[in-house]
Amino acid sequence: MRVLLIYAHPVETSFCAALKERALKTLVANGHSVEVLDLYEQGFDPVLSRAERLAYHDVPENRESVAAEVEQLQRAEALVLVYPVWNFGFPAILKGYFDRVFLPGVSFRMENGRVKPNLQHINRLVAITTYGGPRWRAFFLGDPPRRIVRRVLRSLVAPAARLAYLALYDLNRADDAARTAFLDRVEADMARL
Amino acid sequence: MRILIVQCHPSAESFGASLAETVRKTLADGGHELRVTDLYACRFDPVMLEPEWLRYNDAELNRAPVERHVDDILWAEALVFVYPTWWFGLPAMLKGYLDRVWVPHVTFEIPTATSPMRPRMQHIGRIGVVTTCGASWLVSKLMGEPGRKTVLRGIRALCAPRCKTKYLAHYNMDSSTPESRARFLQRVETFFSRW
Repeated sequence: MRVLLIYAHPVETSFCAALKERALKTLVANGHSVEVLDLYEQGFDPVLSRAERLAYHDVPENRESVAAEVEQLQRAEALVLVYPVWNFGFPAILKGYFDRVFLPGVSFRMENGRVKPNLQHINRLVAITTYGGPRWRAFFLGDPPRRIVRRVLRSLVAPAARLAYLALYDLNRADDAARTAFLDRVEADMARL
Repeated sequence: MRILIVQCHPSAESFGASLAETVRKTLADGGHELRVTDLYACRFDPVMLEPEWLRYNDAELNRAPVERHVDDILWAEALVFVYPTWWFGLPAMLKGYLDRVWVPHVTFEIPTATSPMRPRMQHIGRIGVVTTCGASWLVSKLMGEPGRKTVLRGIRALCAPRCKTKYLAHYNMDSSTPESRARFLQRVETFFSRW
């Protein structure tokens, strides 16, 4: 399967980097062709500019400034996101990827004033993430990043797409055993992508 | 009251800019003391880079790159966020403001083996959100309103225990009319004139 792995963490020695490496290794070992979009390494600019805002609804001119990212997304049959949860949401660099690349004519299209999903070529959607705080806390706060993946992104991909939300909560207090177990869980899930 | 307005819209001629201006003027007329942060106008950089992440837990150094903004949130008794809702969430610019400015030891203490997360922004007693949504009210609810929850639950959890919140949204923005926009501006003005 053609997999697009989007990764958003600034530090190579972080646990998130280890998650990305494990996911990548497992996917490649299972014969998938993986494209990695490392938003930090690429220096991705997450800020939707004034010009982009003004041209937002002009299909297809609206994608000019992110043409490479759009083509990459359109090639993908599976989307794997690896990111830390910061302040109850995606890191800005990942949020900006959606702001700037998930454009009209790309991730959705307007038909008679209604929004239609446009990423039906994506059959697998996986999020691999870490939370600083415990699960109950995220639950009471409404867990915004989980909702973005499970509801918003799911509404754009193939209706029968398999979805997995793999999260390690309470990372601030997680010991080595918890981290190792989570890495193994990521590997097991990637092995049956 | 001392109020910090954080506004985020790429275009100075947009409806979002009119909303921010209405909030500012209404609160100024009400005799409040205001500070305004216009994230696009001040070219805020929303990306937390490696050196900053490595100092994230350092109480001495983590606020240095964003000192002015940290001063503002320590000064404020109330916050108003004015932004367009994109993909049911905050624009990356505003999310990055939370990532970089709302750092530990300033806004909260990181949980340890013996103690839970402790909020440190108890001086903030009110949070208002003024936003525009392309989606309808129903679709926003079905998607779970992640942006609303990031601010009115996540950020609120760091503020006073009885912190009051208000969420004012113009839904169906893409089919808005001059009348619907005027009505919404009026609603914003009425609400903030009583703050």
